[in-house]
Amino acid sequence: MTKTHAIDLVQIYKQFGDTPVLEDINLYIRQNEFLTLLGPSGCGKTTTLRIIGGFETPTNGRVMFDGEDITEIPPFKRQINTVFQKYALFPHLNVFDNIAFGLKIKKMSKEDIREKVAEMLKLVNLEGFEDRDIESLSGGQQQRIAIARALVNEPKVLLLDEPLGALDLKLRKEMQLELKRIQKRVGITFVYVTHDQEEALTMSDTIVVMDKGRIQQIGTPMDIYNEPVNRFVAKFIGESNIIDGMMNEDFKVTFSNRTFQCVDKGFGMDQPVDVVIRPEDLQIVSYENGFISGEVQNVIFKGVHYEMEIRSEDYTWTVHSTIMKNVGEKVGMIIVPDNIHIMRKGEADEA
Amino acid sequence: MKLNRIGYPYFIWLGIFILIPLLLVMYFAFTTGDSQNLSTFTFSMENFEKFMSPIYMGVLYRSVKLAFVSTLICLVLGYPIALIISKEKPKVRNIMVLMFVIPMWMNFLLRTYAWLTLLGKNGILSRVLSFIGFEGISLLYNDTAVLLGMVYNFLPFMVLPIFSVLTKMDNDLVEAAEDLGANKAEVFWKVIFPLSLPGVITGITMVFIPAVSTFVISGLLGGNKSTLIGNLIEQQFRYTGDWHFGSTMSIILMVFILAAMALTSKFDKEKEGGGGGLW
Repeated sequence: MTKTHAIDLVQIYKQFGDTPVLEDINLYIRQNEFLTLLGPSGCGKTTTLRIIGGFETPTNGRVMFDGEDITEIPPFKRQINTVFQKYALFPHLNVFDNIAFGLKIKKMSKEDIREKVAEMLKLVNLEGFEDRDIESLSGGQQQRIAIARALVNEPKVLLLDEPLGALDLKLRKEMQLELKRIQKRVGITFVYVTHDQEEALTMSDTIVVMDKGRIQQIGTPMDIYNEPVNRFVAKFIGESNIIDGMMNEDFKVTFSNRTFQCVDKGFGMDQPVDVVIRPEDLQIVSYENGFISGEVQNVIFKGVHYEMEIRSEDYTWTVHSTIMKNVGEKVGMIIVPDNIHIMRKGEADEA
Repeated sequence: MKLNRIGYPYFIWLGIFILIPLLLVMYFAFTTGDSQNLSTFTFSMENFEKFMSPIYMGVLYRSVKLAFVSTLICLVLGYPIALIISKEKPKVRNIMVLMFVIPMWMNFLLRTYAWLTLLGKNGILSRVLSFIGFEGISLLYNDTAVLLGMVYNFLPFMVLPIFSVLTKMDNDLVEAAEDLGANKAEVFWKVIFPLSLPGVITGITMVFIPAVSTFVISGLLGGNKSTLIGNLIEQQFRYTGDWHFGSTMSIILMVFILAAMALTSKFDKEKEGGGGGLW
């Protein structure tokens, strides 16, 4: 619980009735970092966020803010603000009064409020929108107002609950960059909840992958993508080929009836493992030159690349390639050792 | 306005049972003569002049006052109840709403008669009062009894629309206000109450209109000491036979109701299309 931690979650358990929602959540969130809670719906990510915001009390465990226990502190006394999933802007107030809501409660002077609201509207690129009705704004604009309304209170931590979920793809991509820019500008901690792995990879400093109420992996986007710790993470973050293999010895793994060089070690001798290979790491070569060979089953044009299913003796591989092959064609595939990732078979694998 | 064909039956109904009678009432209000003989009708403002006398104005004033007070009591009693019910889990909520609605399944007259026996000389309440030392207090046949009858009968009409608006309110808004630093009282006055105004206005409308025009409640519980405008109108039509004066009073009452409603809805004008209101 050093000073560099904005938030510490210590052994958090949460139950709704008899149903456990969170189990043994331990997590620290550094000052000024962009941390994303990522997972499928029902994994407990939103509950975790609501516990940080104070809208839920954990059944067990403690929430620390700047090293102080805030587990029992109600939301309105926390220096934390939230951007809600459906924005939750007040429909009976205009843009100005929505943003000024928190400041008016703090009894700030009228001039200061006016100045700060204008400043916030500038930050979210909606200058001059003070007198507009909430209902007259587009989804993207409402989103920005919701962010401004939260940030104007100068929180130390901003919580964002799937804030881009309702926007169309193009706007979502714009807002991702925008959010990142805002976070750098204001220099505070963002805790972001999403089920969209691409969003998480784009924006985060740290990603926390959750499933079934437990943290599966914590790491940088690159860690999570390149070194998934288990089958769930590998499948959830991007597409993966996961195949049973055997770790013969350090740097040697056997799968698909062939032994490969790899870069992993420390698994022991002849241990059954999961082998993860990303679709873009399989290179298509001529049939004779491949380490693995198979027949193209299916081709889908995805814009940047083609997604192909290639059936080998024991596995159907998903391959992303810019070279198109025809259905029925026999091809070979090669993999460089660096791109073969080995995971221990673990308890969380049934997912 | 483009009329949809499936609306026709209603428009026919509207014409026969609302528009024509209304025009007839207007016609009667501005004429005098033998109510049974159309040929004797002459245009006249006589009835309006007659109404301007202190007696009738006093009755109108008392009617509006009682209706206003009963509406206010209904609001003060009903809003917290609606708020409490709306915060319950759906199962409990339904039971509580049912408890409110069940009495309404019983005949309105019967319920008012029940108060007659409760408040009467040998009624339970009088006996309890005399038991604890308050002898001979008359609970019946005064304004308080009428007020009680109004509040009792019309309270559900206040609770239900407010309840309906409150249950539909997005709880995220409450959480957003808390998140922005508002305590419970601030959340209520800055978010919950303003957003529930459409329900409040519907509730006020649905209590005030029947309260200001009632003649059954005042007739039964108020006796002849508490005559309201509704009773006067009833008398003209049923006993005195002066349909002209009865119609005049109806029109005057209608104008009052319209004015009251216009005033009430002004509070909600800013938000257009806010569902729940009658205006």
